[in-house]
Amino acid sequence: MTVRKFVVALVGTSALLWGSASAPSAQKMTEQFIPIGQSPGLSGKYTVIGKLQSVNAQEKTCTVAATTSATSDALNVRITERTKIWLDRSKLQQPNLEGTIADLRPGATVEVKPEGHQSGVSSGPADWIKVQVPASP
Amino acid sequence: MRSREWFSTAFVMCALVGLSGCKSAPPPPDRLSQLIAKGSDLFFNETFGGNGRTCGTCHPAENNFTIVAEFNPALKENFENPALMREFGLILENLDGFADLKNTFVMRGVPHVLGLRNSVNSPGGPRTGWSGDGAPGDGSLRSFATGAVIQHFTKTLNRVPGVDFRLPTEDELDALEAFQLSLGRQQDLVLPLRLKGTVPKRGQEIFLDNKLGKCNLCHVNAGATANLGQGSLGNANFNTGVEDLPDQPARLTSQKVPRDDGFRTPGDGTFNVPPLVEAADSGPFFHNNAIETIEGAVAFYDGEAFNKSPAGLTLAKLDPEGKGIELDGTQIVAIAAFLRVINVLESIRQSIMLLEASLAVSSSAERARLLTRAVRETDDSTGVLTGGGLHAEAVAHLHEARRLADRALRSHFFGRKHTEEAIREQKKARAFLVE
Repeated sequence: MTVRKFVVALVGTSALLWGSASAPSAQKMTEQFIPIGQSPGLSGKYTVIGKLQSVNAQEKTCTVAATTSATSDALNVRITERTKIWLDRSKLQQPNLEGTIADLRPGATVEVKPEGHQSGVSSGPADWIKVQVPASP
Repeated sequence: MRSREWFSTAFVMCALVGLSGCKSAPPPPDRLSQLIAKGSDLFFNETFGGNGRTCGTCHPAENNFTIVAEFNPALKENFENPALMREFGLILENLDGFADLKNTFVMRGVPHVLGLRNSVNSPGGPRTGWSGDGAPGDGSLRSFATGAVIQHFTKTLNRVPGVDFRLPTEDELDALEAFQLSLGRQQDLVLPLRLKGTVPKRGQEIFLDNKLGKCNLCHVNAGATANLGQGSLGNANFNTGVEDLPDQPARLTSQKVPRDDGFRTPGDGTFNVPPLVEAADSGPFFHNNAIETIEGAVAFYDGEAFNKSPAGLTLAKLDPEGKGIELDGTQIVAIAAFLRVINVLESIRQSIMLLEASLAVSSSAERARLLTRAVRETDDSTGVLTGGGLHAEAVAHLHEARRLADRALRSHFFGRKHTEEAIREQKKARAFLVE
């Protein structure tokens, strides 16, 4: 192997491994069981908590009017195949469940974590959305 | 395991007065020391309203903060596998979701929590747990406890906060993080060390040789960071083919052991790089506890599972002759001997730290606990050296250090004298290992 090939291999390999190293590393599985507003290191910093204003199931988008937000007043959310939707039933003292876009209804209280650790985003894909299931009246 | 104040006291004092000596009375505890002490108490005593487990249940101080293959299952089905837990120290994790508890899980060993200050950070964010994605929230060490409570502390599989457990508060997360960061080494080694033993010395050379052992590429300075030639990658993930090892102990049983796909869901097959300084006395090794001995763990990198893995093939591409890792038996043993010696050097450092701390405390109960811990660390040192047939002279001094620490523990009048002698014996042992 020539020096040039060695360097190319080194650069390529580093890029490959770097890609792995720089990927988001938070675990989503136990996140499901954390109530809205209590996600450590995220809630109040990188998430938006508010009311769902509108939902477009066909285009897989929704708009959230923030009531508590460190990022923006309103968030236009894109729901991708990677987006996790969870039903936060902690107020009912019931286990939280996985949800679907059909569970997103205007007026519902939600917490949205946009993809990546960015402050001040006003639109973009969501990492996860928690939908609060209110306690029975 | 009630009341571990002694443990935090040891670390707090060392944080306050440095590792080299505690001759005078420690200064009054500051904010950090209070946080560490609180974190220690939470780590060993707090059940978070759950099934009775604490962090210390699986990370006991007596066993280098990693589990022994024995504790009681609190829930009957789909929570733990008692057979695998008891025989192999494997615990159940639902890293790919909680929707199908019967079939979707992985069985993992319990990593020690020593030296975390040097092994969690990467440019892409913190890496925790065996696959680097062990924490919810922001994925940080601070958030790890929240995920651990949900996974392991729950009273029922419903996992309802406020019913099955309570989540740690912000203050508690701060304290637990501070405590965990205080454990073990606070900085990485700088290799090469001026080792005295012939075989460990050769092992270090092979370890550092990027054309032979290639160990230092992914375990820089025997730590947990990688550097493939373009600067530090921090604590990285690699697919080293451990899942492809034949005859893995847990899979030799009739128990269900699904394939572990590592980082993310679905996983990419990668796992996180652990530090090696702490390795020799904290086996079994790898995320699935597949290999019991440090020699076996080194030999893994000479095998097919590694050399056909993405990481192994990558190393081969980097090699001018296209070779992966090819080592003979003597070279494997030499690398293991090196790892044994650096592990013992760390255990001696901790033993001295604990002995010195015992001289500085006023409470006889705390003093006794510190000395007990020093005795256990010394047992680790002798076990690691004798296990590799290394440094008989050092072992003799360590035996003497242990005897003296034990006498100090039992003596009302000569405790200080025996402790000081024990420190001297530790230093004599160390002098046989390194210049």
